[in-house]
Amino acid sequence: MIIRFSRVTEGLALVVALLLATPGLGAGQVASYLDFDGFTRELRAVVGASNLATMESLGTTLGGRNVWMVRVGDPSGAPLDERPGVLVVGNLEGDHLVGSQLALEAIRYLLNNSANEAVKAALSDRVFYFFPRLNPDGAEAMFTPVKMNRRTNTRPWDEDNDGRTDEDGPEDLNGDGYITVMRVPDPAGRYMIDPSDARAMKRADPSKGESGRFTLYWEGTDNDGDGFINEDGPGGVDLDRNFQHAYPYWEGDAGPHMVSEVETRALMDFTLAHRNIAVIITFGETDNLVTPPDAKGVLAGAKVQALPGFADASHAEIFTSGVASRGGGPGRGSGGGRGGGTSDLRGAQPGRDNDPSSGVRPAMTVAPQDQVYFKAVSDAYKRITGIETVPMHRDAKGAFFQYGYFQFGVPSFSTAGWGLPSADAASQPRGRAGAGAGAAVPGAPDESKGDASLLADLERAGIQPFSAWTRYQHPELGALEIGGFLPYVTHNPPADQLPALGLKHGEFLAELAGMLPRVRIARTEVTALGGGVFSITVEVENSGFLPTSLRHGQTSRSVGPTFLQIKVDDDDILSGAAKTTPVGVLAGSGSREEATWVIRGREGATVAIALHSQKSGRDTATIVLK
Amino acid sequence: MRSIRILAATSFAALIVTALPAGRSDALLAQQMRGSDPPHTLDLTWDRWLSHEEIGQRMELMAKTWPELLTFSSIGTSYGGRKLWLMTINNPDTGPELGKAGMYIEADVHGNEVQGSEVCLYTIWYLMENYARNPEIKRLVDERVFYIVPTINPDGRDFFLYGTGAAARTGHVPLDSDGDGVFDEDGPDDLNGNGVIEQIRKYVPGEGTHRLHPRDPRIMEAVAPWEKGDWVLLGQEGLDNDGDGLVNEDPPGGYDGNRNYGADWQPEYVQSGSNDYPFRNPESRATQDFFATHPNVAGLQTYHNAAGMILRPPGSAWEGDYPAVDIRVYDEIGEQGERILPWFNYHITWQGLYTIHGGSTDWANDGHGIVAFLNELWNEGQYFQSPLLTGQQEDPRSPITRDRSRFFFDDFLEFGENFVEWAPFDHPQYGKVEMGGWNKFGSRINPRFMSMEVFHRNMAFTLYHADQMPLMRMGETTVESLGGGMYKVRVDIRNERLIPTIMARAVTTKAVRPDILTVEGDVEIVAAGWVQDRNRPGRTDLVDQEKLDRILVRSGHPGRTTRTIEYLVRGTGTMKVTYSTAKGGTVSASVTVR
Repeated sequence: MIIRFSRVTEGLALVVALLLATPGLGAGQVASYLDFDGFTRELRAVVGASNLATMESLGTTLGGRNVWMVRVGDPSGAPLDERPGVLVVGNLEGDHLVGSQLALEAIRYLLNNSANEAVKAALSDRVFYFFPRLNPDGAEAMFTPVKMNRRTNTRPWDEDNDGRTDEDGPEDLNGDGYITVMRVPDPAGRYMIDPSDARAMKRADPSKGESGRFTLYWEGTDNDGDGFINEDGPGGVDLDRNFQHAYPYWEGDAGPHMVSEVETRALMDFTLAHRNIAVIITFGETDNLVTPPDAKGVLAGAKVQALPGFADASHAEIFTSGVASRGGGPGRGSGGGRGGGTSDLRGAQPGRDNDPSSGVRPAMTVAPQDQVYFKAVSDAYKRITGIETVPMHRDAKGAFFQYGYFQFGVPSFSTAGWGLPSADAASQPRGRAGAGAGAAVPGAPDESKGDASLLADLERAGIQPFSAWTRYQHPELGALEIGGFLPYVTHNPPADQLPALGLKHGEFLAELAGMLPRVRIARTEVTALGGGVFSITVEVENSGFLPTSLRHGQTSRSVGPTFLQIKVDDDDILSGAAKTTPVGVLAGSGSREEATWVIRGREGATVAIALHSQKSGRDTATIVLK
Repeated sequence: MRSIRILAATSFAALIVTALPAGRSDALLAQQMRGSDPPHTLDLTWDRWLSHEEIGQRMELMAKTWPELLTFSSIGTSYGGRKLWLMTINNPDTGPELGKAGMYIEADVHGNEVQGSEVCLYTIWYLMENYARNPEIKRLVDERVFYIVPTINPDGRDFFLYGTGAAARTGHVPLDSDGDGVFDEDGPDDLNGNGVIEQIRKYVPGEGTHRLHPRDPRIMEAVAPWEKGDWVLLGQEGLDNDGDGLVNEDPPGGYDGNRNYGADWQPEYVQSGSNDYPFRNPESRATQDFFATHPNVAGLQTYHNAAGMILRPPGSAWEGDYPAVDIRVYDEIGEQGERILPWFNYHITWQGLYTIHGGSTDWANDGHGIVAFLNELWNEGQYFQSPLLTGQQEDPRSPITRDRSRFFFDDFLEFGENFVEWAPFDHPQYGKVEMGGWNKFGSRINPRFMSMEVFHRNMAFTLYHADQMPLMRMGETTVESLGGGMYKVRVDIRNERLIPTIMARAVTTKAVRPDILTVEGDVEIVAAGWVQDRNRPGRTDLVDQEKLDRILVRSGHPGRTTRTIEYLVRGTGTMKVTYSTAKGGTVSASVTVR
């Protein structure tokens, strides 16, 4: 017993050392996870040392912390907010600190490598917007004495809807500094030890002759005496489930409604005010970069830890408790003797007989024409970062990057930002095949697989992810064991990997910026038709790789048109294109479109042409009539 | 065995009034017998459409006149900086505001749908004028709290009233409707300066899509596709303000305030006007903030125009209908509305009108457990109300056929006030055209002289709705000794009205906190259960919860129902049983166990 305990301690010490390794590796890079103050200091230092970046606070959280936004670009060119923009968001999930550190390192990379050709091009003709730490309140929980994966912000929330808020959270009973899981011997329990790894638990399948022997809870006590353990802990709202696409309605951690939080609203208002944003990438616990959408436009099924889901399920029944049966005695139901179905019940009257199935439905899969671009960006990401497998990724309901494609209409990506060494077993995503963003039941653990293979994957990468089960005498539940996944370890790489990962992600962002659409007036031609009449033809080229709009950007009517405007009086346009004329969607790689006007003018006069694209930049040309 | 029956001490024991028509009181009788009609305290007129400022002035005047019951404030500020006025009607002597069911009434979310605001003002005025005269009104005011927001889109209202009335439905957060990077730069223009945005028609002999009506040249008739007319319609009066070659392509705003709520919200390409995310508009956000801090709101009415409809959510059929118990509640109120409001029909929104994603009634129902109706005030049937006249409308020789009836009404009842005759105009872009048509009051808004009936009948329906909000009362209590120091205590808990304390849909969305049944006192609760059938001895549904002195009732208390809680207790002394609800008040009974 004592020996076993000390082994665990060693394991923990190793993990702590990995997580909090010494800073200073590389060119000022940080190889440790930073709390809000440390992160802010570092961000200020990086931004302050360059004239290519500025930072501002776009909101103050409930905990009084700033939501930082860093704008990166060489201000000497076109106005920054008119250039094609890259929006990068980190740390939407409070426990995904690696996201904010990668954003920080990517900013550093761009600023330190402005001589590099790709970076220079990106800085002079593109703009980057970074929200490195969208959820600073949630992130701060990594630096508290007792750690648990805190994904949400700190909005007080009555999770169990009992009229009291945050009254029954977990406790670190065994004093190891972590909130893990309690497994309680219980003949009526639903769970059994996974035969393939004695640490992992699985749901017993009676049809296979398996019997449950354990009940699982989060570590702690029943503080409010309602019979449920840890059903209403502190906070909050999961910011990456708070956005408008496939929003998980009425699930507590998704917030009271879409974009309900200070943090999400700050991000959304900024995004809407910057329609020049042409690509979005979030560093988070969802993925479509390592595994792009399949041929049906569906994301890979979620791959998550099972054990926390089992512990969450211990209080799933709370909402069926206290529900009175509605049938029964004469005192029940609506009064007046008019039950349902009686003939005097007229009900709401049909009016225009509108078709109940009418109307455009929101798209739920990536359009076939757009899939190739997701694949191309995914290929670039994997080539540059070397990441082939992410440890875990979750269901993307209400995720910001999904909003980015499905409603904002631009290529939009998410990645955990770190990977595991490729192994045959590990490269196969677990979970139901074809279960996409809209298909999986949120919060429901994938019960077909346990955690055994995840444990093996992590250990192969040199990560010790698990606190072994140890005995504990619980005041209410008696003899039980406490153990489980260590907080943060499975969601964040060892800190010594941060500098190298940061570098790779900086490179990737520079390359991604180079892929953005960029339109220019490529050719102009004037023909004098005699009698003061001229024909003007203007050709527009998209020199980027991505098109000026994805197909879904058109379907969703969210990507504005690319249009040409000739600056002459309406009366002088005799024929041809309208004064303001859209040039249609331009595919990338040098695709061209043209417009022709026939105008009346004075020989030798100049005519200005303006090219305006919401996401692909602007251009002007001056033509002499001759 | 000893059995004691005690009457419960309820918080409103003094005032339990049964519903009409039974139990006419002496005061009501006196009013009915009165020979003369006494003067009003405030002699307000009801035949003008008021600006936002005038609405505020009237509200302030009323608040000063009846300060005991009225509180004048606002729930927020519009995009244009106008206050979203709120009148709270509450009698503090009958309990605190949040302890009583709240009826929230608003209007004018679409700036051009003005008459609902006057219904709101009329409601405040009517309740106050009659509080001392009519015991039914006094009861309603004393039992409930009313939150009245006469104009939730004051920018739109003033834009409509002070301007030409065109493009006035929207709120006024600027939107770049044409995606050119400039906001609201090209709306309609009043070219001839007559204060009306007219239609433009152009004479194009043999090439047009329209012809003049043979009996009335004011009327444009579309010709069949295989025919040719002599006229084309060129849209609304306007110019290409921004010189992009397009006319009126980016008018002010361009969203729909009633698509910006948080239930079944859909993006622009699915639901036009939804505006990027729920509660982005300051006006809808103010509403949401108000609901979030007023969980007692149990009923909502939002006045619109025009169709003559009483609409209930859901606004869309995609998610299916509500649970049957909820539909029964809506049906009973909606059907009563059809009797109170002639020419109005009760519909499910998507079925009767059209599909609305992200509307306020859906959000009220799903997000806050509020029973919500939307009335579309005014129906063109109200122009010609008698069977004789509706019969004449079918006769093609009659001057009141369907296509001519509105012109007849304007000519002979409103003396030509609303139609602007077609007149030649030299348009800078279209050349020689004619402009004319209805002014902004010409449709959708009832004629002013008919306002009183529109206002009163809609108010009466909304007050019926308000009267059906949950109202909790304690009933009888009994104590029965079981020997051995054990007692059986029964307490009757009653909801006197139709609407349950928590609608079934709201139970699923967890929008309302559960009802909470608590016990304070000296006794120890051994077991608790709900009596299955009060009239037959038999089973009790045991409460399967750990804390029997704080029982959660997640499904709430049904309408017009008495339920009996039965406690098995040990010990003697006083036992205070309290049933607390978010929307139907909190009631207590004290029981002496001995």
